[in-house]
Amino acid sequence: MRALIALALLLAGMTASAHADERGVPIPHGTVELVSEQQSIQPGQTLLLGLHFRLGPGWHIYWINPGDSGEPPRLEWHLPAGLRAGAIEWPAPSRLPIPPLMDYGYEGEVLLPVRIEKTTGLAVGTTVTLAANMKAIVCREVCIPAKASLSLSLPVRADRPHELAESAALFSAARKALPKPAPAGWRATAKDLGDSFELTVNAGRTISQAWFAPLEPEIIENATPQKTASTKTGIRLILKKSDQLLKPVSRLRGVLVLPQSAYVIDAPVAPAPAKRPKKEQ
Amino acid sequence: MKRGFACVVTLVVTALSIVALAARVGEPAPNFTATDSNSKAHTLSSYRGKFVVLEWHNQGCPYTKKHYDSGNMERLQKEWTQKGVVWFTVISSAPGTQGYVTAEQENDYMRRMNAAPTAALLDPTGDLGHLYGAKTTPHMFIINPDGVLIYDGAIDDKSTPDQADIPSSTNYVSLALSEAMSGKAVSTPTSRPYGCSVKYAH
Repeated sequence: MRALIALALLLAGMTASAHADERGVPIPHGTVELVSEQQSIQPGQTLLLGLHFRLGPGWHIYWINPGDSGEPPRLEWHLPAGLRAGAIEWPAPSRLPIPPLMDYGYEGEVLLPVRIEKTTGLAVGTTVTLAANMKAIVCREVCIPAKASLSLSLPVRADRPHELAESAALFSAARKALPKPAPAGWRATAKDLGDSFELTVNAGRTISQAWFAPLEPEIIENATPQKTASTKTGIRLILKKSDQLLKPVSRLRGVLVLPQSAYVIDAPVAPAPAKRPKKEQ
Repeated sequence: MKRGFACVVTLVVTALSIVALAARVGEPAPNFTATDSNSKAHTLSSYRGKFVVLEWHNQGCPYTKKHYDSGNMERLQKEWTQKGVVWFTVISSAPGTQGYVTAEQENDYMRRMNAAPTAALLDPTGDLGHLYGAKTTPHMFIINPDGVLIYDGAIDDKSTPDQADIPSSTNYVSLALSEAMSGKAVSTPTSRPYGCSVKYAH
C-alpha cells in the first residue's frame, strides 16, 4: 500500500513537472500554448486544437471584432502537407469598458479552438508536428504586442484517439463558451431607425437579459448602452449606429450574449423609412 | 418654478450641442482652439482654405511606435506639409497615463524622431479628443479647405503593430488627401481606427 502511494506521488510529481515544462510560451503578462483535445491523430479525422491563453489579472486579448481598440490574435500555420487549419472559433466575448470606449475580448484565461481538417495522407506510426506563429496584442491600461512560435507533436495512429485528460475540462468549457447557431424556431429581424438599429429576437420564450456583440467593426457605437426590452417571445434591443457608418447595411451579424449562453445572429435589416419630417426647433 | 425652467433650458442646450459637436464625415468639422507644445494657440477655423490633418498620438503605444520608429509618420508629415497641408499631432493622454508629455518632453521627442507636424497640440483634459470622438492612437481625421470633415479612421489598412506590414499597406490618409486635392471623392472616407485606446482622464 505504502509503495502504491509512493508510486502515485511519484507519478503525480512527474505529471506535474512534465506539465510545468509544457505550460506554454511566455508572452507579456501571461502564457500561450497550443493544446490538443486528443492524444493522437487518426488519418481522415478532424482534430481539435486550441490556443490557450493565461493572462494576469485585468490583462486581456480581443475578440474577432475587438471593438474600439486592440486587435484579435492571429495565427500563421505551418502544417505538414495535406493538413489544413480552419479559422479560429471565437467564444462569446466579454465587454471590456475603457471609458469612453468599449472593447470586446477575453480577460484572464481563454481557449480559442481551431479545427485541423483533412488529415488524410498521414502515415500511421509517424509523428506530425503542427506549428503556428501567433501574434496578439495584450492590453490592460496599456497594450503590449505578443508573439510566440507554438508547436505540438502528435503520433498518427489508426485507432480512435483518446481524449487527453488534462485538456478535457478546457475543451468542454470552450465548447460551452462558443456561440450556438440560433435554434430553428428563432427569428431575428432588424429595423433601421435612422440613428439606430432595432434588433428583435423572437425566441418563442422571453429573454430577460442580453446584449448584442456586432461581428463587424464600425456598425454600432460600441460604448453606447444598449437599450433592451424583454418581450413575451424574446427581446428587443436598440443599438446606436456608429458615427462612421455612412452607408446602409443589409444585415446585422453578430452574437446575442445571454448570461449563460450565446447565439449567432444574422438579421436582415429593413431599410430606414423614407426621409422623416424634420422636427421644428 | 424658475429653477425648473433653468434646468429644462440647460438640458436642451446640452442636447443641441452634442448633436452639433459630433464629428461626422461630410459635415462641418467641430471648431476648436488648442495650445501647442510651444505655447502657441491654434484655432481650426483660421486654417480655412487649407487641408488639416489631425493625428492622435501616444508615444508609448505600440501602434504609434510602428509608424514613428519606421519613419512612416514623419515621412507623411513632411510630404503633406510640403504640399501645404496643416498637420496637427494631438496628445490627449491624461497626466499619469501612457503618452502624457509636458511641452518640453514633446519638443524633445519631435526633435529626436525628426517629426515634422505643423504643431503638436497638448490636450491633457481630453476635450479635443472627446470633441472629435478620437478613439485610438493613431486615429486620423482630415478636414478639407471648406472646413468639412472628409476622413475619419485608421492611418492604413493593416491593423497591426508590425513595421513590416507598412510597405504592403494602403495609407488611407495619403489616399484621401491625394483624391481630395485632385477634386475626386474620397474613396474610403471612414475605416476602423485601429490602435491603443486614447488614455483619457475619464
